[in-house]
Amino acid sequence: MSGAWIVPLADPAAGDPGLVGGKGAGLQRLCGLGVRVPAGFVVSTAAFRAALDEFSQARIEAPLRALPPAASPTQLESAAAAARAAVLDAAFDAPVLEAVRSAYTERGLGSVAVRSSAAAEDAADTSYAGEHDSYLELHGPDAVAEAVRRCWASLYTTRAVSYRGERDAGPMAVVVQRMVPARAAGVFMTLNPANGDRSAMACEAVWGLGEPLVSGTVTPDRFLVDKISGEVLRREVADKPTRLVRAADGGTVTEDVPESLRATPCLSDAELAELLRIGRTVERAAGCPQDGEFAVDPAGVALLQARPETVWSRRAPRSVTSGGTALGAVLATLTGGTLDRPNPRNRRP
Amino acid sequence: MATDRFPSPFDIETPPGAEGWESMYDWYHLFGPERRELDEGRFWFADRLHHPDVLHPYDEIQCECWWQALGAFNTRIFAMPPAYGVDQRILNGRLYVTPVPAPAGDVAARAEEFGRRAGHYYERWNEIYEEWKEKVNARLAEIRALRFEPLPDLEPESTVYDHVGHSAGFRMIRDFNHLVTTMYETYQFHFELLNIGYAAYLTFFGMCKSAFPDISDQSISRMVGGLDVELYRPDDELKRLAKEAQRLGLGDEISGNEDAATLFEKLRANEAGAEWVADWERTADPWFVVNTDPGHPGGYHVHPTWAQAPDIPLASVREYLRRLEAGESIDRPTDEVLRERDRITAEYRELMAPADQPVFDETVELARLVFVYIEEHVLYIEHWMWAAFWAKSKELAAALAAMGEFDDAEDMFFLRRYEVAEAIYDCVVGWSVGSRSRGADYWRPIIARRREIYTALKAWDPAPALGPPPAEINEPFTVMLWGITTSTVGEWLTSDDGDGTTLRGTGGSPGVVEGPVRVVTHVSELGSVQPGEVLVCPATSPSWAPVFARIAATVSDVGGIMSHTAIVCREYGMPAVVGTGNAVATLRTGQRVRVDGGTGVVTVLDPS
Repeated sequence: MSGAWIVPLADPAAGDPGLVGGKGAGLQRLCGLGVRVPAGFVVSTAAFRAALDEFSQARIEAPLRALPPAASPTQLESAAAAARAAVLDAAFDAPVLEAVRSAYTERGLGSVAVRSSAAAEDAADTSYAGEHDSYLELHGPDAVAEAVRRCWASLYTTRAVSYRGERDAGPMAVVVQRMVPARAAGVFMTLNPANGDRSAMACEAVWGLGEPLVSGTVTPDRFLVDKISGEVLRREVADKPTRLVRAADGGTVTEDVPESLRATPCLSDAELAELLRIGRTVERAAGCPQDGEFAVDPAGVALLQARPETVWSRRAPRSVTSGGTALGAVLATLTGGTLDRPNPRNRRP
Repeated sequence: MATDRFPSPFDIETPPGAEGWESMYDWYHLFGPERRELDEGRFWFADRLHHPDVLHPYDEIQCECWWQALGAFNTRIFAMPPAYGVDQRILNGRLYVTPVPAPAGDVAARAEEFGRRAGHYYERWNEIYEEWKEKVNARLAEIRALRFEPLPDLEPESTVYDHVGHSAGFRMIRDFNHLVTTMYETYQFHFELLNIGYAAYLTFFGMCKSAFPDISDQSISRMVGGLDVELYRPDDELKRLAKEAQRLGLGDEISGNEDAATLFEKLRANEAGAEWVADWERTADPWFVVNTDPGHPGGYHVHPTWAQAPDIPLASVREYLRRLEAGESIDRPTDEVLRERDRITAEYRELMAPADQPVFDETVELARLVFVYIEEHVLYIEHWMWAAFWAKSKELAAALAAMGEFDDAEDMFFLRRYEVAEAIYDCVVGWSVGSRSRGADYWRPIIARRREIYTALKAWDPAPALGPPPAEINEPFTVMLWGITTSTVGEWLTSDDGDGTTLRGTGGSPGVVEGPVRVVTHVSELGSVQPGEVLVCPATSPSWAPVFARIAATVSDVGGIMSHTAIVCREYGMPAVVGTGNAVATLRTGQRVRVDGGTGVVTVLDPS
């Protein structure tokens, strides 16, 4: 398989998961929807193959192939470590990395995130969530090139190797994307995960970058927005003592949230409205409920990722009448004793 | 201090100075020893929605009209499955009500009957509604044709030569009875369509809540409302008159600040001005026959109509002129509201289970059908009929005062309607015989005492509720109309715990704004409302429409999501918190507040 080493995210060629991996292709699709997706490019699977030719691949996988059928965790771990070292070694100085440095510099991307985008990742049935590496807030061509090399190597983390089992590794593309200097960030789902109500969009968000939320180490603010009317139906504000932000010298750092912001909702109504517009656009284009990640900076809401929601989407909407006529419905209402009445006091603690 | 029940009606003390207040109201309207056991076991709440103030004895007929008519239609005519009527008692001059549930064992049989009877109406709704308008208009014409004048020294010749065969005195007796029974009759009509209409609306409401557990009440009513109903016509006429003033080049002349009488006099002096005044006068009947009560229109004889107090509509014409001259559009965005209604309806429908979609379609269609009546009947009954009734009552009072039956026309309103019939007889018989009525000499001490009692009752702060609260409030109309829910009642029980900086009510129309408070309890105070203020009132009425162009938000003491305040604020896209219970008593003009129409919370920003 051939193809460009460097594929801009907005380039239609980035729609091919074989070339740019699952995450890259997903982002390309989002770029085409007119929603704000941070600029960037994909280091393609062609680049991966150019850096790690068949000869190198065989050498890299040799320690794994040498494992006995019932290898111990320790044996597995050391074979995986050997494979990763072999990737780093083989890719060292690859001309492809020079192309990555140029692509980064030419585009003036500043602080970037570098994320693995394996061909099998983010497909509807296998999530590969978190199996491969991601690097945040990287600055400068060398740091980016180094991160790309490490992403390739992360094909052979112990977790990835176990998760993959007998399936072939790679090839792996890598997404290099401008980092949104997030004032707040979070995740959304275009239905209410508590009851499957598809007229609502659920959202969780924190101050700063979204990683602590995604990894489940902080309690986020929670919002429920009516997808059709746009009303904020529910707003549960959490105490948010810390946040992850860009460090002065690159990378990220956890810091205290100023007292005045700890119990303040981290998303405004205008930001929720913008997120709703994005969520509905993505859902409509995909034809099924979506979940995804976003970040908010002074320019507004940026979409970082979206994929199909897999739990409620598979079920048909629940029927709430026994069919029949409007008069039958009136009688059911007046005799049911379970009348849902207007209780507009939808206050929440 | 939190407690588990409200005071017994039998333990409520008479306010100082109001001793003997019971004589002002009909005996069957009072708590009494015969019904004590029954009444002490019931939960009563103050009907501040329809009757926020002390009742004049004469105005008691307003309560009587709906007490009987609502009851008969629910209990006896349509067999509303879960609900009988709403019982009433007067205590210290205020109206307390309690919904009467149908016996649980009868609900199934009543449902079967209701299905046939209400089904007949639903199937022919528009046709019946057209007949209904004819019936009501005919009664309106009858009331307006009555003439109450001082009885003549000598009957006109026509009495003789047309062989009328009865006297002007007899006709005064007859016409008063006719006035009362005709008003009573149109109240029957009022409930002919109202409660079955609410039942259909509630059904749609419940269906949406089941399918979309988190859907807001506002979204549901937006799927049904937004229609171009006659209720908005008075306001539309004001806008039209503003545009006419501009077209005729009268903008500057009308934009001054003279009162309406002076202005109209001045305008009549030139051709364009005279044309505009003539237009105003043609428009005023019927479109400015709009009662100005804060709350249920027509509930008291003391609130004027726009036509009687033209300074009120003139203020809004001036406001519309100002906005026109600033290049703003003053048209109600009806098309936009309708488009939005259709959009959200289609989108919610699409999310329903396919098996539910046909019944959803049928139910939303029925809800829209009945909703036109739910909105419009207010104009026919609450405005036109009651305005005509009060105007004729005042005509009668003036005639009786001129005849020496009273010292002052207003005295008549301190008599119960049965006593008014007595006064008429006393007056008529004295006139007929050429003798002397007992007249004002008889009524003078009674009325003087009642005026004292009335003042003493006004100073009383009525308990929001009496008796043991029910475990759950699920009578649909109580919730829908009065906005009273299980949690409202819970809050009344614990309201003493509040810190005075937060008021809670029902989110009637979404949005958040901050602004200075303007407390308004009578339409005469509307003129003082400044642009950007938060209107705080017992309730609003369609006649206050002018003010909606000026204010930033509305907070009312009473009302639910179907109250006028909520409906109109949604139309204007302005936040409203309704049913706060005591905003008028708690907030002061000038205080800054934040109004959150989504959560139903009003926060005082400068509590000092």
